[in-house]
Amino acid sequence: MKKLDISSLEVLSLLRFDACTRCGECTATCPTGGEAQTDELVTPRGKILRLREFYLRQYGLRARLLGGRDIPKDQLEELAQKAYECTICGQCKTVCPARLDTISMWENMREFLVANGLAPLPAHEQIIKSIENYDNPWMQPRTQRSRWSRKIEKEVRIKDALKERCDVLYFVGCTAAYDPNIREMALNTSRVLGAAKTDFGTLRNDEGCCGSTLLRTGLRASASKLARNNLEKFERTGAGTILTSCAGCYKTIRQDYPRIGKVNAKVVHITQFITDLIDSGRLVPSKRLDQVVTYHDPCHLGRHNGVYDDPRKIIESIPGVKLVEMERTRDESRCCGAGGGVKTAFPELAQKIAGLRIEDAERTGAKLLVTSCPFCYQSLQAGIDARGSRLKLMDLTEILWASLSG
Amino acid sequence: MSGARYLKDRLGLYLLFSAAIVIFAAVVMLLPYDTIYVRDRAYLAIFLVSIILCVFVFLLGTMYNALLWMRGRGLVGTPEQRFLKLVPRALGFVRRRFRPFASSVYNDAIHLPKLKEASVTRWITHFLILGGFVLTLVLDLVATFSLDIAKYQPMIQNDGWAKLWIRDFGFELTGSMMLIGLAIACARRFVIRPKTLRTELPDAVSVLFLLAVVLGGFVLEGIGIAGRIPGHESNQAYSFLGYALSLLMPSSAGGIYDQAWLIHGLMSALLIAYIPFSKLFHMIASPIAIEAERFLPSEVGR
Repeated sequence: MKKLDISSLEVLSLLRFDACTRCGECTATCPTGGEAQTDELVTPRGKILRLREFYLRQYGLRARLLGGRDIPKDQLEELAQKAYECTICGQCKTVCPARLDTISMWENMREFLVANGLAPLPAHEQIIKSIENYDNPWMQPRTQRSRWSRKIEKEVRIKDALKERCDVLYFVGCTAAYDPNIREMALNTSRVLGAAKTDFGTLRNDEGCCGSTLLRTGLRASASKLARNNLEKFERTGAGTILTSCAGCYKTIRQDYPRIGKVNAKVVHITQFITDLIDSGRLVPSKRLDQVVTYHDPCHLGRHNGVYDDPRKIIESIPGVKLVEMERTRDESRCCGAGGGVKTAFPELAQKIAGLRIEDAERTGAKLLVTSCPFCYQSLQAGIDARGSRLKLMDLTEILWASLSG
Repeated sequence: MSGARYLKDRLGLYLLFSAAIVIFAAVVMLLPYDTIYVRDRAYLAIFLVSIILCVFVFLLGTMYNALLWMRGRGLVGTPEQRFLKLVPRALGFVRRRFRPFASSVYNDAIHLPKLKEASVTRWITHFLILGGFVLTLVLDLVATFSLDIAKYQPMIQNDGWAKLWIRDFGFELTGSMMLIGLAIACARRFVIRPKTLRTELPDAVSVLFLLAVVLGGFVLEGIGIAGRIPGHESNQAYSFLGYALSLLMPSSAGGIYDQAWLIHGLMSALLIAYIPFSKLFHMIASPIAIEAERFLPSEVGR
């Protein structure tokens, strides 16, 4: 009998699996198990019950008394497949009456699947190899990482943080650095920082992937290696603040890095940083934009980190802009469908979820949909294109820059 | 790690466990039970042995579940060592922060604001079942202490305030709470069947088992009142449901009172033994899961 290795499951995860009350509150609002498709095994309750059933077959009291039982490989593979259909959006954590930290449960469940040779999924392997070999998920050379900044090098002074001391280290993130469609996010962030005369720099080509993708797919050991490399560079810069414009990098550096090494700087998301600049009068959006805007809360920024007010404050500070909320907003915000490796492994499912979010946005009557995460941006844009929606999508720094540059 | 050390840890844990069960057994066996309703002492003896065995199974199952948690990543040593280290740590945490701990347990186990927000019906159902269950346990302890240790007369005398309000009305009320809660739960689970609710054998068994125990309690009370068993002279004002049931029973029902008492007692004891192996175990695991984040070392994955 092949015995499952449960030593990769955390003590708290095992405890939380027993604490699940099976109430099913999580199933109705689960974007991948209850909304875009109905599949109990994808829902939080389904995953918990199945995994618990499997390890109890081999470690439970009955197994102890009568001997453990083998678990058919196809059943284990099915669980692995379904576990990766989760975007780890954290909606289940919001609604769970027992207040279970489901986000860490799913990430840990994936570590368990990797440890037992059931994951990562083939679709994720190429990305993982790319991160391990090129320090980014896009199979792009390291030397091209800082290419995005060439466009504005005369406009804004961006220091090389490893050579010159700066107050703020801007951690650009792989998506904004390499994806030509998202590059504007890095450019606009830099422009906004420049407008506020912020003393900032980047790690240029020495910036490594934050490891978010690896952590979300269950590869903690590889992610820890990346994290340690980045932490060593953070330390060398001596910057007091690490700023990210990517919600995924923000979550990773703020929440996961302290479990791997010491983060001596304050970690902030661009929306928090800009709010401070506006509050202190260092940034004054002045150009009137006359737009009805709705805001999509990225899961990594909202539910995972509780940043809800800052993006809204920024939007409301722009003259002429009217913010209208979607029916599901803040901690109840619907996921965009991209997280947790779903966009890579299950693109159709991701697009379906994005479509639901676009419908939410359309119902508000807004013409402009704003978000503050590159993955959400990619996913929502795909949803807009697929639905042929008239909504225009903008990153928060883009709309802010439009008001600042007037 | 040496085999001797491992054996020592296991031995330590099982000694601790044995001590707990021996103390419980001693207390159970030493109580005089002068005022107990059942007349046949043989039935009482069967019940006492059963409750000791069932509490033994309950503790063993709970400990075994906890040892399974201890197999997880984040702590050092064997599961037994980890468990032995964590027990004093957890007790120390509760002692040091008793008020926030109690308020947190109340909030997360009984008040459940998230559930209340999601569905008032489900919140009421949960409140009635859990509240009734916990209050019944508390009343049981109070009654046992007052009757068998303190010999508190108002609890013993038929017209004593404590007898009427605690032994008669109190148990009737907590039983009714559970009964109403379980009726709603059964209606949702077996009749309405909302999409989010999944009823598998363990779910059905848990609900029906609890319902059988609660109903059994009322039937027993009805038999006692109908059969004029000493201690059951209460009227409809105190034992309202038991009294109503007694109207449906002949006075000869009193002849099977002892058997009914034993069946109810055995079912209650079995329910206790079943908890660690059922979905009811979330009563214990959920508050621990929430509080554990605060007292476990950070390496366990907060």
